Amino acid sequence: MLLATDLRKQYTAVVAVDGVSLRAERGRMLGLLGPNGAGKTTTIRMLLRIIPPDDGIITYDGLPYSEAVINRIGYLPEERGLYRKSRVLNTIVYFASLRGVPAPEAKSRAISWLERLEISHYAGSRMEELSKGNQQKIQFIIAVLHDPDYVVLDEPFSGLDPLNQGLLNGILQDLKQRGKSVIFSTHVMHQAEQLCDDICLIDGGKVVLEGDLNRIRAGFGRETAKIEFTGDPGVLDAIPNIRVVEKFANSAEVLFTDAGRTAEIVADLARRLDLRMFERRGPSLNTIFLETVRGRRGREGGAGK
Amino acid sequence: MTSKILAVAWWEYSEKIKSKAFIVSLILLPAVIVGLVLVPAIFVTGSDTEPRELGIVDETGAYASTFSELLGDRFILPDGRPNYRLHVIARGGSADIFQMVVLADSMVLRGEMEGYFILRSPLGDLVDAEYRTHNVGNIRLQEKLTPVLREAVTAVKLRRRGIDPEMIAELGHSLKLRTFKVSPGGRSEETAFDQTFFSVYMYMMMLFFIIMTSGQLLVRSMLEEKSNRIVEILLSSLPARDIMGGKILGLGALGVTQLLTWGIFATAVSRYSGLSVIPLGGALLLTVYFILGYLFYSAIFVSAGAPLSTEQEAQQVTSLFSMGLVVPLALSFPVMQDPGSALAIVLTLIPLFTPMMMAIRIPSQMPPLNEIILSLCILGASVFVMMRLAGRIFSASVLLSGKRLSFRELRAMLAKMQ
Repeated sequence: MLLATDLRKQYTAVVAVDGVSLRAERGRMLGLLGPNGAGKTTTIRMLLRIIPPDDGIITYDGLPYSEAVINRIGYLPEERGLYRKSRVLNTIVYFASLRGVPAPEAKSRAISWLERLEISHYAGSRMEELSKGNQQKIQFIIAVLHDPDYVVLDEPFSGLDPLNQGLLNGILQDLKQRGKSVIFSTHVMHQAEQLCDDICLIDGGKVVLEGDLNRIRAGFGRETAKIEFTGDPGVLDAIPNIRVVEKFANSAEVLFTDAGRTAEIVADLARRLDLRMFERRGPSLNTIFLETVRGRRGREGGAGK
Repeated sequence: MTSKILAVAWWEYSEKIKSKAFIVSLILLPAVIVGLVLVPAIFVTGSDTEPRELGIVDETGAYASTFSELLGDRFILPDGRPNYRLHVIARGGSADIFQMVVLADSMVLRGEMEGYFILRSPLGDLVDAEYRTHNVGNIRLQEKLTPVLREAVTAVKLRRRGIDPEMIAELGHSLKLRTFKVSPGGRSEETAFDQTFFSVYMYMMMLFFIIMTSGQLLVRSMLEEKSNRIVEILLSSLPARDIMGGKILGLGALGVTQLLTWGIFATAVSRYSGLSVIPLGGALLLTVYFILGYLFYSAIFVSAGAPLSTEQEAQQVTSLFSMGLVVPLALSFPVMQDPGSALAIVLTLIPLFTPMMMAIRIPSQMPPLNEIILSLCILGASVFVMMRLAGRIFSASVLLSGKRLSFRELRAMLAKMQ
């Protein structure tokens, strides 16, 4: 288990991470969620000791950070680049050597990973000859080649087409099955919803929601509806007993402020819009995310005034 | 931990040795040396392999045989044959000189001989000489043969006045100034000034090329990793100072490769051309200065380059600090002429200039021991201090990209790290 307690990091003017605690368990997938600039990347960098925390403790299976621990962590950074002129296989073997894997072993593992990710024909190519998506696959191989117990991925799905997202998803599930702890950050909520066992929602450098995703969903306590319609979405704001979480041109997600009045709500909606669909359901992670972040900001904004 | 430093070093070495910048610099220096020194040297000292055919029309009839003897005496091909074969086309006043000239000219034009001499004596003892050839551009030949002809004429005239031929040979012996370099321990070796001059320039060029190549590769690789964020993967694997150490080690090994390649090249050249281009005495000591100099400049390049974000900026910074290498280069002549001068001593003790100054001084005159020790101490201490500073700056600024770190921010970060 990776356990971080009260991490803090201050840059010259801003506090990027302010007392973040999180736990990532073996055989589970932890999603680190949050809006842009929430402090996700800084948190991840501290977990990997790329930057030292100003304050706080991180333990890896109860052990403090050490040389032995380094080799048990794999990392895929958010902004991705590789040595453009270098050969694919050489590059993978080099990074594996920095994680303590001897070259012959690294080479055979690299080849099987390249095959698994369907890019084995690029083994001898220069990195710059590869497409962006394929470069990302190489980076993923670099993150997992040394068979780490903790796999930390910063926005792993960005830049991948749906086909490759599926491929990566399968591999992550497999890692989880094998008892690895997978930590990844994202701001794409439906991905997190499909993949994560646990989430840690960060906003403004603080954890605002954390724990088992199913339990969080159940504990959110309010129901939502997805509606589809034609008409002016602006009228939604005037309808009593609901709050609009998100609205688009022809659809919206609304939260019931009084779930007992569903029939009234539907009637109101049908009167003002050409209602095509009304689906009552549990809160999506997206709703939870938006509500939590807005609620927190609203409170802070109110407190500030 | 050391194995990871070595992994970084090996990566830098094996990747950069294939880079264009390295290969160009590897070839450029020998090319410059060949261009500047060797080509003229070959023209001056290079010898023929086949005899050259020359002729003489000697109206006076007195000088041809002596001239021929002297030529055969002075110029011999490596295989023992005479370098110049002098054909006597006409001797004495009996023949029609005009016709002889027409005949000889046609022989030259047909390529049967390269050229021929005409000797006339218009008045008494006076000799009028002429050389006719199809190739007046061959200055070397005329330069070589004129003194011999003069010697032949003089010898004949002296003999006529009844002077003993042996005495003539003795009197005619020309004076040649040889230069010896005196070194401690009673040793002295024959060294020409231009030879010292040449080796000084070679050492300076080598140092300059090695430091500039490796320094630029160092800064470039640092900035590449910074801008494409590879540095994050590196930093998650090993501490910043180890990354820096590995890079400096790897690129230092690249410098040694450069040095060895040039050393082999220079040895081959000196064997081939007979020019002793590398006096081995002091080369070892100079290598120590080279290594310290490389480390010192690397630390400067890292300190100055790490906070930057583009290659153009880095180019400017490296060229600014390379002035430390250029200043001694500009002052090399006065220093070579007076290696013990106050100017030379002061410059030697400034760490930025030490390696270059030693590249000038060691080949021309071994500096006194106390100066060597003092300069090594100062340079060594500077390397230590600069390396520590470079490590801190590297750690502090390596994660920042897209913006240049201001001096104040840098100072704040450094203070925080202490």
